[in-house]
Amino acid sequence: MRAMRLVGAVTLVVCWMTALACNAQTAQVQSRWAQPASDLAGQIADVLGPGQAQLSLRNLSSIQGSEIPVIRKLIEQDLKTRGVLAGGAESANAIRVTLSENARERLWVAEIVEGNTTHVAMVHLEAAEAEAIRATSERVVLRKEKISGLVGRDVHGIPVLGAAEINGHFVVMFADRISVFSNTGGTWTESNTFVMTSKLSRDPRGLLLPAADGGTFTAYAPGTQCSGSYSLPLNGGTQDSGWTVKCRASDDPWPVYQSADASSAPALKAFYNTARDFYTGVVAPNIGVDLPPFYAAGMIPRAAGGAAVLLAGVDGKVQVVENNVMRPVSGTRDWGSDFAVVRSGCGSGTQVIASSSGEAASDSLRAFAIPALDAIPESNALGTDGAVTALWTAQDGKSALAVVRNGLGEYEVDRVSASCN
Amino acid sequence: MFRRLAISFVISVAAMNAMARTRPHYGGTLHVEIAGDAWERPAGVARRLVYDGLTQFDTNGTLRPALALTWEQDNNFHRWQFRLRPGVRFHDGSPMTSAAIVSSLTASCSANCPWDTVKAVGPLVIFSNDSPMTNLPALLASDQFLIALTANGDGRSPASAVGTGPFQVTGFNNGVLALAANETCWSGRAFADGIEIRVHRAVRDQWLDLSLGRADVVEVPAEQLRLAQQQHLSVIQSPPIVLLALQLGESGMLANVKARGAIAAAVDRGALYNVIFQKQGEVTASLLPQKMSGYSFLFSTERDLNRAHQLRGGLATGAITMSAEGDGAMQLAAQRIALNLHEAGFNVQMAAAGTQHADLVLRQFLIAGSDCGAAMERILWDAGLPASVADKTSEDLYKRELSILDNHRIVPLLDLPRGYAIGARLRDVHLRADGSPDLSSASLEDVR
Repeated sequence: MRAMRLVGAVTLVVCWMTALACNAQTAQVQSRWAQPASDLAGQIADVLGPGQAQLSLRNLSSIQGSEIPVIRKLIEQDLKTRGVLAGGAESANAIRVTLSENARERLWVAEIVEGNTTHVAMVHLEAAEAEAIRATSERVVLRKEKISGLVGRDVHGIPVLGAAEINGHFVVMFADRISVFSNTGGTWTESNTFVMTSKLSRDPRGLLLPAADGGTFTAYAPGTQCSGSYSLPLNGGTQDSGWTVKCRASDDPWPVYQSADASSAPALKAFYNTARDFYTGVVAPNIGVDLPPFYAAGMIPRAAGGAAVLLAGVDGKVQVVENNVMRPVSGTRDWGSDFAVVRSGCGSGTQVIASSSGEAASDSLRAFAIPALDAIPESNALGTDGAVTALWTAQDGKSALAVVRNGLGEYEVDRVSASCN
Repeated sequence: MFRRLAISFVISVAAMNAMARTRPHYGGTLHVEIAGDAWERPAGVARRLVYDGLTQFDTNGTLRPALALTWEQDNNFHRWQFRLRPGVRFHDGSPMTSAAIVSSLTASCSANCPWDTVKAVGPLVIFSNDSPMTNLPALLASDQFLIALTANGDGRSPASAVGTGPFQVTGFNNGVLALAANETCWSGRAFADGIEIRVHRAVRDQWLDLSLGRADVVEVPAEQLRLAQQQHLSVIQSPPIVLLALQLGESGMLANVKARGAIAAAVDRGALYNVIFQKQGEVTASLLPQKMSGYSFLFSTERDLNRAHQLRGGLATGAITMSAEGDGAMQLAAQRIALNLHEAGFNVQMAAAGTQHADLVLRQFLIAGSDCGAAMERILWDAGLPASVADKTSEDLYKRELSILDNHRIVPLLDLPRGYAIGARLRDVHLRADGSPDLSSASLEDVR
């Protein structure tokens, strides 16, 4: 008997809480659709005038079915306040409301039938953006921060090859130029542009390496090498005018070595095939084995001391070079062609952030530990807003920078940091 | 046990789907087979591989720069100036100049153009017109205005095809058009070294070649999409972006708008959709698809034979000629429509396929781009009913479309998708906004 009372009490509480939650949800739906419902009812009443009409409503949009009764009720109420009573099966007037949408907006349409005449009323409203909620767990948590407001000439659709924050400015290497962005009121705005003539490519790549002094950088693009430096203008010039960038034709090897501390001097240089957009496998200094053509390389420190070189090959294999032997790394089947080594201090201390896509339209990023010959996931997948086209270790060595091409073909730069969970 | 099995299934499916977005490989030759001609407009697969336009639509239908880097209008859309991309060269090495652009545009459009005059001024191409050219940049992305080097001919045949696109023509022998990658293409070298396009190949033979690995890309007509899926072909298909419509002349009895209205009311779209086109695409009575406009449902797609009889009334019923562009399903659809019209009291005589001057022509119109006004103007332009569509809001566009369709010169019937089947070794094949495959960004997995 006591147990039954307890069950009854619990049931009551659950029902009460459910009712509260439902009410809160209904209120939210009402507030979201109140304005368009009112606008549409106003237009209908202007056409129909006071009286009765049969109201029907159908949904051709992405609005959830559970919200439709609320919307219908809102329209009925708004019509009533304007003297139009929904109902009356015998009424000759009919109102057919369709909740529609197109690529740009939601479109609510009312077909108002008076005898043989049909009037059309429309209300349009912006489509709400879905907010992605992503769970995080496991040893390392990846977080991304969009470096927003990279506003400038032709930013849309021009691939971003590299980027780095230098001297309070954001230096971005595009496929056709190097641009310096200055922070004005929280927004990065293009303040200087230096045209770069590099070989055109459908899969353009580049490197932008800040020097340890923090005031200069070197940029590598197919067939071109650029040097940039900043010095404070002496007289008259603005802060932004202190940049100089000089480019020259070059087939020098690119410094691909991504150590956990990217500010240290690169230790491995690799020759780049400008016709095929990959590293040929010829590197300097020699690391003891003949390397296959590859897309990315990095150094991962070993727990027992020393370091191994990680390679993402053109053939899709990820291999590790250690003690003059090259061996495949398992668990990398879904990796993309680029990765970044970051020093998070969590777990083994160093993680490899790699991109993968599966069959989804957007890629994701995940942190891995490679203690031996296995890549072990240490974070959940962090979704990106499109395809990851470039990924490298940031200057601080603790985070990575990812270039993402979104569904509109625009490029954005995300800073991806790894922290302990 | 069941739960464990279910989990293993989910894991194995996830593993099967795990595909790395690795960088594409360069090299190799793509083999494409098509039923038609590689150069035919508006869907000839070779045209956009060899030529570029001043502007182009990206895969999302957004207008992007191509041979023109920027454009701006003044004088309330009566004048446009396009600034050309510097450093672009034609396949023969000659520089792309504004004079060459003007020459190409003049060759491709000598009369009834969207502009009165087009002239070259330094790196600029300037268009002027008495009427506002609201959607000129979008119109210039269409197939008709692709830029060819006219010094070599009209660019309408492989022999004279010199453009700026990612591939250049190297030969045409035994029904195979051979293309080679343009090493200095302004948009970057294509991944494949070459493309071989076998033309006039029956769809059944194309599918056989695909299964034998002799072809990498083959066609899947809309009415065969279901069959292709049943045969487990790897199919990519566009949204419904091909408008199937009946175009009506205005001579003889069709000069009467009521007669045209009767024809519009008599057509049974449901039969075309269910029987001929195997329930692919969407039934429509509007120029723009529902997903694009949001108001397409306002145009009734129902057949109304009573209304057709009522509208036809006592009008004299001389013979009406009818033709269809294309073959196969298009011819069957035309015959089905002729039957519909016969039931409404019209005497329809079928003309030979491709006859342009029939009273009724069953045609396909491409709906490219995401801008409703520009897409509508493009359809009207292709239908030979040029009109500037400056309307931007949904209400205004709806009213505009209503006034166009009330004239019954064009009767929308179906929105159809375009489809292709691709081989296992091919990757990164995307369809352009017009539903054609963008082979310049495709690569082969098995080349090293």
